Amino acid sequence: MNLSGILVVSKPERMAEVVTSLAALQGIEVHQSDPASGRIIVVQEAVDIHAELEAIKRIKVLPHVIMAEMVYHYIAEDEKEYEALPPELEAVGEACSIPKDLQE
Amino acid sequence: MGLTRRDFLKTSIAASTAATVGMPLSKTAEAAVKQTEAGWQWDKAVCRFCGTGCGIMVATQGGKIVATKGDPDAPVNRGLNCVKGYFLGKIMYGADRLTQPLLRMSNGKFDKKGKFVPVSWDQAMDVMVEKFMAAYKEKGPHGVAIFGSGQWTVPEGYVGAKLWKAGFRSNNIDPNARHCMASAVAAFMQTFGIDEPAGNYDDIETTDTAVLWGANMAEMHPILWSRITNRRLTHKDMVVVNLSTYGNMSSDIADIEIVFRPSGDLAIQNYIAREIVKRNAVNWDFVNKHAVFATGPYDIGYGFRPAKADQFASAKEMEVVKNEQAHVIDKWEAIAQRKQEGEVVKQTNILGAKPAADWAIGFEDFAKALEPYDADFTTAVAKGNPDESDADFKTKLQKLADLYCDPKRKVVSYWTMGFNQHQRGTWVNEQCYMNHLLLGKQSMPGNGAFSLTGQPSACGTAREVGTFSHRLPADMVVNVKKHRDTAEKVWKLPANTLNPQIGSHYVKIMRDLEDGTVKWAMVQVNNPWQNTSNLNHWIKAAREMDNFIVCCDAYPTVSAKVADLVLPAAMIYEKWGFYGNAERRTQGWRQQVPPPGQAKGDLWILLEMAKRIKLKDVWGEQKVAGLKEAGFEDGKLPSVLDEAAKMGYKPDMSLYEALFATPDNKKSYKWPDAVAKGHANHIAETLKDGWFPEKAMFEEYRKFGSGHGHDLAPFDVYYDDKVRGLKWPVVQKDGKWTETAWRFNEQYDPYVKKGAGIEFYGNNGKSMVMGDLDKPGDGSKKVDISGKAKIYFRPYASPVEQPDKEFNLWLCTGRVLEHWHSGSMTRRVPELHRAVPAAVCWMHPKDADSRGLKRNDLVWVESRRGKVKVRIETGGRNRVPRGLVYVPWFDEGVLINKVTLDSTCPISKETDFKKCSVKVYKA
Repeated sequence: MNLSGILVVSKPERMAEVVTSLAALQGIEVHQSDPASGRIIVVQEAVDIHAELEAIKRIKVLPHVIMAEMVYHYIAEDEKEYEALPPELEAVGEACSIPKDLQE
Repeated sequence: MGLTRRDFLKTSIAASTAATVGMPLSKTAEAAVKQTEAGWQWDKAVCRFCGTGCGIMVATQGGKIVATKGDPDAPVNRGLNCVKGYFLGKIMYGADRLTQPLLRMSNGKFDKKGKFVPVSWDQAMDVMVEKFMAAYKEKGPHGVAIFGSGQWTVPEGYVGAKLWKAGFRSNNIDPNARHCMASAVAAFMQTFGIDEPAGNYDDIETTDTAVLWGANMAEMHPILWSRITNRRLTHKDMVVVNLSTYGNMSSDIADIEIVFRPSGDLAIQNYIAREIVKRNAVNWDFVNKHAVFATGPYDIGYGFRPAKADQFASAKEMEVVKNEQAHVIDKWEAIAQRKQEGEVVKQTNILGAKPAADWAIGFEDFAKALEPYDADFTTAVAKGNPDESDADFKTKLQKLADLYCDPKRKVVSYWTMGFNQHQRGTWVNEQCYMNHLLLGKQSMPGNGAFSLTGQPSACGTAREVGTFSHRLPADMVVNVKKHRDTAEKVWKLPANTLNPQIGSHYVKIMRDLEDGTVKWAMVQVNNPWQNTSNLNHWIKAAREMDNFIVCCDAYPTVSAKVADLVLPAAMIYEKWGFYGNAERRTQGWRQQVPPPGQAKGDLWILLEMAKRIKLKDVWGEQKVAGLKEAGFEDGKLPSVLDEAAKMGYKPDMSLYEALFATPDNKKSYKWPDAVAKGHANHIAETLKDGWFPEKAMFEEYRKFGSGHGHDLAPFDVYYDDKVRGLKWPVVQKDGKWTETAWRFNEQYDPYVKKGAGIEFYGNNGKSMVMGDLDKPGDGSKKVDISGKAKIYFRPYASPVEQPDKEFNLWLCTGRVLEHWHSGSMTRRVPELHRAVPAAVCWMHPKDADSRGLKRNDLVWVESRRGKVKVRIETGGRNRVPRGLVYVPWFDEGVLINKVTLDSTCPISKETDFKKCSVKVYKA
C-alpha cells in the first residue's frame, strides 16, 4: 500500500467541480482546499508504485485541473516488501561486502 | 478522536503536503505532523540530480536520513519534487554500497589481471601514487588524466583543477559535462564572449511562448515543466511548441509538436531566420546597436581521430570515420552550402582551433546564405515523420515562424541534449541566438534563448570553475598567456608553471588510453565506461592495455568493474558542498550524515593524493609532446623549482602543503566553524590539521571571478537560513549581497554601462576580421565588437552516419524520468527500480511488424560498432516515428553506448548521442 500527498491546482472558479470529480475517484480523499488559489490537497492510496504513478495521470486529465504533482510519499502497511530489494538487485550482494560482479 | 492508524497517517501526509506548498494547517493536522516528525532535525540542501537545482529539506535522526521534501522557500521548486527528488533520501542506502578500497591483486600484490581484494586506504594510496609517478615519469604531465564531473561540488572541482593544472602541470582534466554542456559553452563563448545564460527561471512566468528544441522537459526537468504547465494553463496567450526527433511526454501539453529528421533542426533555424528577414521582422535598432554578423568554415570534420584512425577503427567503422578526411556533399548539403552534389570536400579545418575560426560578414551575405532555406527545402530535409504530409509540416513551420516574428509576443527557446549532443552542436546553439538576436528578444524578462543544463553543477563546477582540458576558472583558458598569468598570481605559482597546451577532452582521454598515450587515469563522480559512446574500444583499452585506472564511486558501476583500484566515495549529504544550477544560482549544503564504513569524500581523496607528491616530482622540467608556445622551449615545460625556492617553496614540500593546506588557509579558515551549526565535516575531521578545506577553497576560488562579472558572495552568506542560493554575479548593494536576475540588461545587471540599455560586455575590447561567406578577408578590415553579440550564419550539414540498406534505422539515446544518468544511484532505490526496471527499445509498431517483431520481443540493436540485447516497446511514453528507435542509457544491462557513434561537434568536442544508424533483429 502506498500513500501519497498530492497537490492539485485547479482554476479557482472551477474548484468546487474539481473537488467533486476528485472525490469520485477511487482511492482519493480530499483533505484541504483553498478557494482563493484553487489549490487542493488530496491523499491517494495505491497498491504499488506503478499504480501510484498511473493514478496521478487520472487526476491530471480531469477537466479544469491545471497541475497535479506528488509532494509527500509514505509507504504504509507492507513496508517490509518495499524495504526488501528486488531480486535483480539482491543478486548484487550484501552491504559492505565485495560486490560479486566486481570480480568478473 | 478515535482515529485509526491509517486515518492518522493520511491526516499527517495531507498536512505535510499542505505545509510543503505553503497552505495553512488546521490544529489537528499540525499535531499529527509534530508527532510523526518528533526528533527529526531539518536542514536546507539542494537536489543531487538534474540541472534544475531544486531546494530540498533533509531530515536526519540518529545519523541517518529519515525524510526529504521539497523546500517550500526555494524559488526554483516552491516545495515541489519530481519522482527522483522524492526518493532522494534513499540513494545512499543501497545494499551494495562500496565501503572500503578494493585493489586488483594476486598473491598479495597488485596485478591487473587479479581479483578485487579489500585493502587499507594507505595501501591503496601507495599503489595509486606509485603507478601515477611511473606514468608521469614515462609520459610526462599528459600521460595522466582525470575524468571529472558536472556532479562534482564546487570545492571538489576546484581542488581537482588546481591539483591537475597547478600541481601536476597537466591539462588532462575533463568532466562528463563535456558530454552534456560543451556545445552550449562553445556557443556562449563564441556569441557573447562569456559563458552561461542571460535569463533565469522567472522567464517562465513572464513569457508568452516556450519553444523546446530537443529538450524533453516533462521527463528531464519535471519541476521546470510543472512551472511551464502552470503558465500554459493560467496565461491565455501562452503557447508551447515541442521540437524533437520523436513524440514524447512534453508533447502532451504542447500546442504544436514538430517531429524533425535528425539534424533537421539546423535547417529549421535557418528557415526561421529567412522568414524574419523576408517578413521585415528584423529588429534593426537592436541589431545595429548590439550585434554583428559572422560565419566560419564548413569543412570542420566530425570529431573522429584526426590521423591514423584506421589503426584502431574496424573496416566497417571506417566507412563512417573516413569522412574526417574528406566528405562527399549530398543533395541537401549542395543546396544548403551552395556546393555541387557529389563534390568531394577535403576537411581542412579539423585541427586545434581551426573549426572554431570565425570572421565578420555583411548583412547582404548573411541574407544571401539564408536564401536556400525556404519551406520546400526545409520540409524536404527536416520533416521527421514519414507519415505526416508535407503540407501539414509546412503549416507547422509557418506557425513557428509566426510565433517568433510577432513583435508583441515574448519567446523563450529552451534546449538541452538535443542541441548540445549534435555533430554541429555549437552551430545549432548559435543559430538559436541568431534568431533571438535578429528579433531583439534576448536578455529581457520572458525573452531569450535559454540553454538548460543536465547536471546539478555542470554550470557551477564544470564551467565556472573550469574543469575542462582548455579552461581555467572564470572563463579563462590555458592557451592565453594573460589568463595563465592571472591564474599563476592567484595560485601563487612561479611563472610558466601552468602548461599552455590544451589537454585531452573526454573522448580523447579514452582514445589516449587506447593508443597508450595516457597510462594512468582517475574517475570521480561519473561513469565513463557507461557514458562514452563506442564503448567496446574503451572497455578493451582499460582491461587490456598497460595502464592503471582508479575509480572513486559509491557503487560498483561499470567503470568500477573495469578499474584496477576502486575507492569508496562519500555521497551528496555525507559531505559539504556547493552546486550551481542552470540559472547561475549557487547553492550550498552542510554534511548531514557521516559516510558509511571507510568511504570518504572525493575532495579528501584528492587532498590525500596531493600529500604524497612533492614539488620536485612535478615542478622540474617536463616533456609535453607537441607543445609550441611563445616563451616555452618546444615540447617542454621548464623547471620552476629555482623560481619556486625564491618564493619560499622547498622541493620536498608536498603539493598539499604548497597548494592547499597553506599557512594562510590554515590561519584564516579554521575548523570547527560556527557556520556548521553543529553539523560535522568528515573531511576536516579526518585531515585533523584544523582547517576547513571547503571554505578555504571556495574563498580562494571567489578571487577569480570577483570584479569581472562572475562574482560570488562569501561562503557564509550561502549558509544563511534565509538564503536559497544566489544567481551570480552577486555584488554588494547597500551592504547586502545582491544577485543578478537578467544579465546584459541595464535594469538588472550591475556590469552594464549606464545608459547602454543592453550591453553584451563579454566581447568588450575584441574585434573581428571582415570577410565574405566563403573566407575571412586579408585582415585589412576589422570590426570592433565591443558590447556586441555575434549573429552567426551556420549551414545545414548532414549527419555523418545515416540509415542505409543494412543499418536502416536511426538510433537516438537519452534519459528517462525515473533514473539519473547511468542509474548507479536511482536503480538502488527499490521504488524507482520497480517503476522502470530495464531499458527498452522504443519502436514504431509498423517498423516492428515489418521485421516480424512484437512488443516485449528480445532483439539485437546492432551498429557498425557493437550490439546490445533489449526488449521492444511499441507503446508507452515515447512515440517514435517510423525509421527511428530510442533506447535510454541508464541500464548497465543494456550498454547502448556500445552501439553509439563517437562523433563529436568539432568545435565543442561534445559527442552526438542522438543519431547513428542501426539494424534491429530478433535475438
